[in-house]
Amino acid sequence: MSDDLPEQFDLVVIGTGFTESCIAAAASRVGKSVLHLDSNEYYGDVWSSFSMDALCARFDQKPEPHSTLRNCSYTWHTRDTETGEQLWNRDSVLAKSRRFSLDLCPRILYAAGELVQLLIKSNICRYAEFRAVDHVCMRHNGEIVSVPCSRSDVFNTKTLTMVEKRLLMKFLTACNDYGEDKCNEDSLEFRGRTFQEYLQAQRVTEKISSCVMQAIAMCDPTTSFEEGMQRTQRFLGSLGRYGNTPFLFPMYGCGELPQCFCRLCAVYGGIYCLKRAVDDIALDSNSNEFLLSSAGKTLRAKNVVSAPGYPPVSKGIELKAHISRGLFISSSPLGNEELNKGGGGVNLLRLVDAEGSREAILIQLAHYTGACPEGLYIFHLTTPAVSENPAADLDVFTSQLFDHSDAQIIFSSYFTIAAQCNTSVAAEHIHYTDAPTYELDYDAAIANARHIFGKLLADADFLPRAPDPEEIVVDGEDPSALNEHSLPEDLRAQLQDMQKATQEMDIQN
Amino acid sequence: MAKTYDYLFKLLLIGDSGVGKTCILFRFSEDAFNTTFISTIGIDFKIRTIELDNKKIKLQIWDTAGQERFRTITTAYYRGAMGIMLVYDITQEKSFENIKNWIRNIEENASADVEKMLLGNKCELTDKRQVSKERGEQLAIEYGIKFMETSAKASINVEEAFLTLASDIKAKTEKRMEANNPPKGGHQLKPMDSRTKDSWLSRCSLL
Repeated sequence: MSDDLPEQFDLVVIGTGFTESCIAAAASRVGKSVLHLDSNEYYGDVWSSFSMDALCARFDQKPEPHSTLRNCSYTWHTRDTETGEQLWNRDSVLAKSRRFSLDLCPRILYAAGELVQLLIKSNICRYAEFRAVDHVCMRHNGEIVSVPCSRSDVFNTKTLTMVEKRLLMKFLTACNDYGEDKCNEDSLEFRGRTFQEYLQAQRVTEKISSCVMQAIAMCDPTTSFEEGMQRTQRFLGSLGRYGNTPFLFPMYGCGELPQCFCRLCAVYGGIYCLKRAVDDIALDSNSNEFLLSSAGKTLRAKNVVSAPGYPPVSKGIELKAHISRGLFISSSPLGNEELNKGGGGVNLLRLVDAEGSREAILIQLAHYTGACPEGLYIFHLTTPAVSENPAADLDVFTSQLFDHSDAQIIFSSYFTIAAQCNTSVAAEHIHYTDAPTYELDYDAAIANARHIFGKLLADADFLPRAPDPEEIVVDGEDPSALNEHSLPEDLRAQLQDMQKATQEMDIQN
Repeated sequence: MAKTYDYLFKLLLIGDSGVGKTCILFRFSEDAFNTTFISTIGIDFKIRTIELDNKKIKLQIWDTAGQERFRTITTAYYRGAMGIMLVYDITQEKSFENIKNWIRNIEENASADVEKMLLGNKCELTDKRQVSKERGEQLAIEYGIKFMETSAKASINVEEAFLTLASDIKAKTEKRMEANNPPKGGHQLKPMDSRTKDSWLSRCSLL
């Protein structure tokens, strides 16, 4: 294949993870020329989803000291397990390898959260589909139970007694109204104290307290009153939009999301090269441009954005364990039949250890997400890393989940996502994105992308709405039917050229 | 709002750069051809509604956005695709040879039952032909798919090709519906009306 890559770009982005893809799309959208590279042969970097084969191959790769993915291990559990007709073991799972989308960094989206709003605002939402999370769960007395979210849930739930239902409603109403009445004495009293204290003062039962602390506000005992209120409101504000819970999960896994941003970048002229590494980078002091050598070619770029873990560009960045992950495949779901009706969907469970100081997020996926074959379930377990040993970090949570359950685990794996520990590497004006942080949604990643975009293009709009194809009439009789103002500069210039050409043709006639 | 169509099919165009995928798309969707296409900037997909056996079928045809250039089509591009037009240029031997690679790419990423069709484009350029019609036919037989030579410029067979592909998908869809096996559905995100803050709680007023 001939390499007809242009040599001059406004922006070169290295790494196709979520944050980098967001920046690439935003720059391309406002008319900047963008080259987006990744030395991997797949999109998404550490934000990617893999088929079963590809995941094992990735784990088998020789560990590299600079990689943000490390401490990988996996085990096939040899016993055969049955679900209906299908016999599941290593071979039968691998035979369906392509039916899996196994996320390195699985996330859950608030239905009215930052990412959902950004996808809608930018029109990138047309590239993806989502499944509403089926159940928000909590652990209570060793059992996994569903936390009632919708009105019908609250009405039908057997988890709570009638009195508890009223108490919960009363409490949530108060949270919802919080902030409306600034002089509310009840809440003034708790400013500067913890959310748990406030909850206790409401004389709710222990079970309701668990519902709120574990699943709704997702707090620990030290969370401040204000923070807890804000989190509860965030939960309530996302309810009633899609499905029964306030959460969404992307169909086919979270690895789709960076690709959606890449697609928008490409639609606006961004150029994509995978399996392409940068071998060297230097700043040309005369032109103040970066010179990147890649595959024997020198590219010039006004700006460079890079993910950590892409040397030589990201050399000098020290990484340390940030997220500990467990990924399990099972032929039976967690929790009772009620939680897994019709083969199950997406269940979210936040786990806390006995002291309430450490937490983990469990996302259970069934085949309706397009992330695994029918009859199998994926359990994604994520916790903030405390060591370089992800299995040990997760031990307290895996024993909560699996010790007294009949989950039939076929495959288990552990790995670490590392992040920068020295955040102030302003080496040669390259903009480094943050590695994935521990969060449920993408708020921090979007804030990071916005921040870097703001440094690159201070006055530009961040991902304005892309017009629908129906709104663009490129070859029409009347080019001005295009809404000029919705177009980026370069396209507007082309449009003006076309109009000029049309006028000249008129003169000849 | 009432649906204005009976079926919605997502179709993809795939093939090397410069084989005329975008021209085919514009010929079919706008009945227009422009040799000096500014580029595909800003064009995601085009829509045309056709009628087959009294059924209105909305075809949503997606362009590659140039991501085929360095073989970097996203796996997300293939999601939900029901039909794929594999396009080569009869004046470019290489684009024909690469069809095999594109088929492998489709097998890796698209759903197993996606309907495929092979198109040899630019068939008006007879004096520059490098790939005979027979070789195109032979390759299509090898993969068990349909084949046509097209010209987006001279408007040859473009309409016919899309109607053929759409009709094959329709037959398959109807067969599947008879088997009572509707595919799963996800949510497409839509802008929401700004909701009043207490709407959730008012819906819970029963308690």
